[in-house]
Amino acid sequence: MARLELDEVTKVFDTKAETIVAVEELDLDIDDGEFIVVVGPSGCGKSTTLRMIAGLETVTDGEIRLGGERINEKSPKDRDIAMVFQSYALYPHKTVHQNMGYGLHLSTDLDDEEIDRRVQEAADMMGIADLLDKKPSSLSGGQQQRVATGRAIVREPSLFLFDEPLSNLDAKLRKHMRTEISRIHSEVGITTVYVTHDQEEAMTMADRIVILNSGKLQQIGPPKEVYHEPTNYFVADFIGSPSMNFLDVELERNPDGSGTITSEDFSYDVSSRLLEPIDASTSDLIFGIRPEDVRIDPQAPPEKTVELTVDVVEIVGSDNFIYLDLAGKEFRVRTESEVEPAEGDVVSVTFDEDDIHLFDSHTEEALVHGYSDSSVTPQVEKSDSTAD
Amino acid sequence: MINENKRSRVLLYAGIIAFALFAIVPYYWVIRTSILTNLAAISQDTGFIPAIGELTLDAYTQIWNRFAFATYFRNSIIVSVAATIISLFFAIPGAYAFARLDFPGRQALFYTAVFTIMFPWIVLTIPVYEVFYFLRLVNTLPGIIIALSIFVLPQNIWLLQGFFRQGIPENIEEAALIDGHNELTAFLRIVLPLSLPAVAAAALFAFLTAWNNFLWVFVLTTDEATRTATVAIYYILGSDVLREWNVLMASLVLLVAPPVVFYGLSRRYVGAGLGGSPGG
Repeated sequence: MARLELDEVTKVFDTKAETIVAVEELDLDIDDGEFIVVVGPSGCGKSTTLRMIAGLETVTDGEIRLGGERINEKSPKDRDIAMVFQSYALYPHKTVHQNMGYGLHLSTDLDDEEIDRRVQEAADMMGIADLLDKKPSSLSGGQQQRVATGRAIVREPSLFLFDEPLSNLDAKLRKHMRTEISRIHSEVGITTVYVTHDQEEAMTMADRIVILNSGKLQQIGPPKEVYHEPTNYFVADFIGSPSMNFLDVELERNPDGSGTITSEDFSYDVSSRLLEPIDASTSDLIFGIRPEDVRIDPQAPPEKTVELTVDVVEIVGSDNFIYLDLAGKEFRVRTESEVEPAEGDVVSVTFDEDDIHLFDSHTEEALVHGYSDSSVTPQVEKSDSTAD
Repeated sequence: MINENKRSRVLLYAGIIAFALFAIVPYYWVIRTSILTNLAAISQDTGFIPAIGELTLDAYTQIWNRFAFATYFRNSIIVSVAATIISLFFAIPGAYAFARLDFPGRQALFYTAVFTIMFPWIVLTIPVYEVFYFLRLVNTLPGIIIALSIFVLPQNIWLLQGFFRQGIPENIEEAALIDGHNELTAFLRIVLPLSLPAVAAAALFAFLTAWNNFLWVFVLTTDEATRTATVAIYYILGSDVLREWNVLMASLVLLVAPPVVFYGLSRRYVGAGLGGSPGG
């Protein structure tokens, strides 16, 4: 077990045709035993980061330290890590038992008995004890995934690396396995870096989430923090499902410090408390509100209401997703299953000022979150429900 | 509907049988003629299925006695096996490098290597003879082995690099690196065992190409002592055997037999697939 530090780590792929900066000056400090999920869209550099930590990719610039020791130049086998690949990468010509014990045979001087004991233990932990004599080709995808995870656990490394390990499983198994991996992590307590493109996986598993885009760090923080206080437009858009509603708006200020945010089809009064942190010269903003923070409420005060036409109603059982038309753009609302307007209806939607996010339309940095001074605690329930 | 089904089935089988006959009859004819007596082999009265009295193994014993076939076969086997082993010895690491490593000039080198497959070899015969003569390799078995190794190398590289590129997931090697191997041992202990089917296929093709090679052996040998079976057939054709169809066919059967046996032996490795891919 160890602490992992990345210090201005940069990776540049230099090909004849072009130079690609895959990861740019990435700083991370991961505590001993922490479960970190690195998330971002395809090509954001998350897998490259993981591969640099594993030693499968060289580091162009910067330093990676594991347990305080620089590991940039160490070969993968000397880094005391274990990795689970998206494709599982099991050795097809070896049995499950041999697959799991192989690393111990190669890199430790444990005797066969001890290796056997550890393989058994890990197999029991993963519920694959009855598969030990089988070849990977006769296993299902879920079983192969368990073997791959088991192979990592057996090593008892200082660092676990997971590279989208659940992407090849079906939705149900994926949910089951992510609970399983979280359980194993709390049992063994080994520092873990887990890469995924699935923000839901990130929200449910992580102690802290690292969000990357175009090789740059966007935000790092606990799931609730990145959900409630996204640092910029990208994070706000990426985290949460369905994703946040955005609208280009203008801010009109009143002499008393309060104001109105308006666009062509939309206006909403906001208090001075919300506008306080925003520079007086800033008037072009991006307004953001999460679908789960919007209500359909005919009784809401008109200055806090927008009238919109229902486009599509999606019934998912526990909730309804209602897609409204806002000047040709999609405006998403997540409601209780009782609220079920007909398509084509005009409904009044409203939301609390506390749930508003405002971003600078030029820099796309977050300027203010409605509840920023009330901390994230009252929002716990919502965070859990999105994470489902 | 049932009738129609039946009819199309009958048509299907009729078609299959027609094609099968088309493919099999020449082989049957070769074997049939090779076991006829001298007279029966050239007589127009000999039936498609000859009478028992017309059958004999004379042609085979004749070949064996009249020509130094034992020598030719020994030479053929030595040079084919040696060329197969030597070319694989160079092709396996070469193909792996082309498939996996990034080094300057990789593409240019690869295309140069593969281009030689398409090169009209006849153009090279005189310069190659000059070189081999200078090196005193003409009329020697090592000379033929070297020539054939070079001849089959490009096709081996080409076959194997395709397999290394597509048949072995890179992640498996990376898992081996993390498990405690270095690049070399990961290749030897993980990649190579997994590549056995491809290596066997390459070996088979190399052996067949070397066995059937005529041009190089023909150019590089004049002595009977270093002649291979393939070239020997040419000389037999040119001798008074021309009218002895049974002897000619018998020598053909003998020539084809070893590659067929070799193919049978390697078949259990060729085509054995890779397992353990994701999803299931």
